[in-house]
Amino acid sequence: MLTPKRVKWRKVQRGRMTGRATRGNSLTFGDFGLQALEPCWMTNRQIEAARIAMTRHIKRGGKVWIKVFPDKPATKKPAEVRMGSGKGNPEFWVAVVRPGRVLFELSGVAPDIAREALRLAASKLPIGTKVVAREEETA
Amino acid sequence: MPTKVHVLPVELRETTGTSSASALRAKGMVPAVLYGHGDAPRHLSMEGRAFEDLAARHEASGVLTLVHAGKTIDTALLRAVQRHPVTRRVIHVDFQRVGLNEAVTARVPIATVGVAPGVKEFGGVMDLLSHHLEIEGPADQLPEHIDIDVSELGVHRHVSAGDVKLPKGFRLVTPPDTVLITVEASKTARQVEESATAPQEQLEPEVLGQKSESKA
Repeated sequence: MLTPKRVKWRKVQRGRMTGRATRGNSLTFGDFGLQALEPCWMTNRQIEAARIAMTRHIKRGGKVWIKVFPDKPATKKPAEVRMGSGKGNPEFWVAVVRPGRVLFELSGVAPDIAREALRLAASKLPIGTKVVAREEETA
Repeated sequence: MPTKVHVLPVELRETTGTSSASALRAKGMVPAVLYGHGDAPRHLSMEGRAFEDLAARHEASGVLTLVHAGKTIDTALLRAVQRHPVTRRVIHVDFQRVGLNEAVTARVPIATVGVAPGVKEFGGVMDLLSHHLEIEGPADQLPEHIDIDVSELGVHRHVSAGDVKLPKGFRLVTPPDTVLITVEASKTARQVEESATAPQEQLEPEVLGQKSESKA
């Protein structure tokens, strides 16, 4: 599962998810990609589940790129704990995703297989997505 | 083969800035700019659908004749297209003035021809590391795409920019040692199984700020 090797701080502030993705919003490596249509905190478990769904479908051949990295620690207070007494413990890692972000890219497989693999991956994610293809990206 | 010069009807616009550009887009128009040859830039607009049609027919890669009220304004090359990150709608277009015989530098898309034996016979994966090639040559002869023959490409072989046969009169601008296409061995059945199984245990990352955090 994707986690940072080293971080500067154990806990970080939550921040905002306003606006759209200004970077990473176009296909760079592959011929097909999965683009986010909503903002979310995408956990490393969700990214891993989507990757596994995709890799299982394309079997051998093809290449997958994961274009988001969960580098933000998300904290949670234990159940049945009163408010206050400081911030909770880091529980999981998330990637901050804004609309327009290309999450995964695929190449080296037939278009129908690529679209189906990305559809399966999309079903593991907490947000609405769409499949983008290189032909639609050009010019 | 020289590319055909396509005609694109445009309007001249007096106003610039975010609000006037937004108003244009609301009417189905796309703001554009025409620059180059040391002259002052001209602000244009055009029908969004007309431009999208031209792009969909792959006719926007060559020289375009910009026409306003039946009169030719200039011949130009499409230099940049800004699209909305989510809807993919065109939001702005840059044109550069060019003469028909003028030597220009352009990024031309790559198209592969044939099936690589490394893929067909050995089950390898062909990877396009670069999707464009930068070439210099006469504007009216710019090809829509550059064909690269991969029918002799085995596993662990690659095609560099220097290996590509360019149309007559064109010079390569991309460094010749740039790798464009590779064929790599595909994953073995075991590797596929490993990559498609349950995730490994999550490791705790090293915290660089731990010392100062504990002091605070």
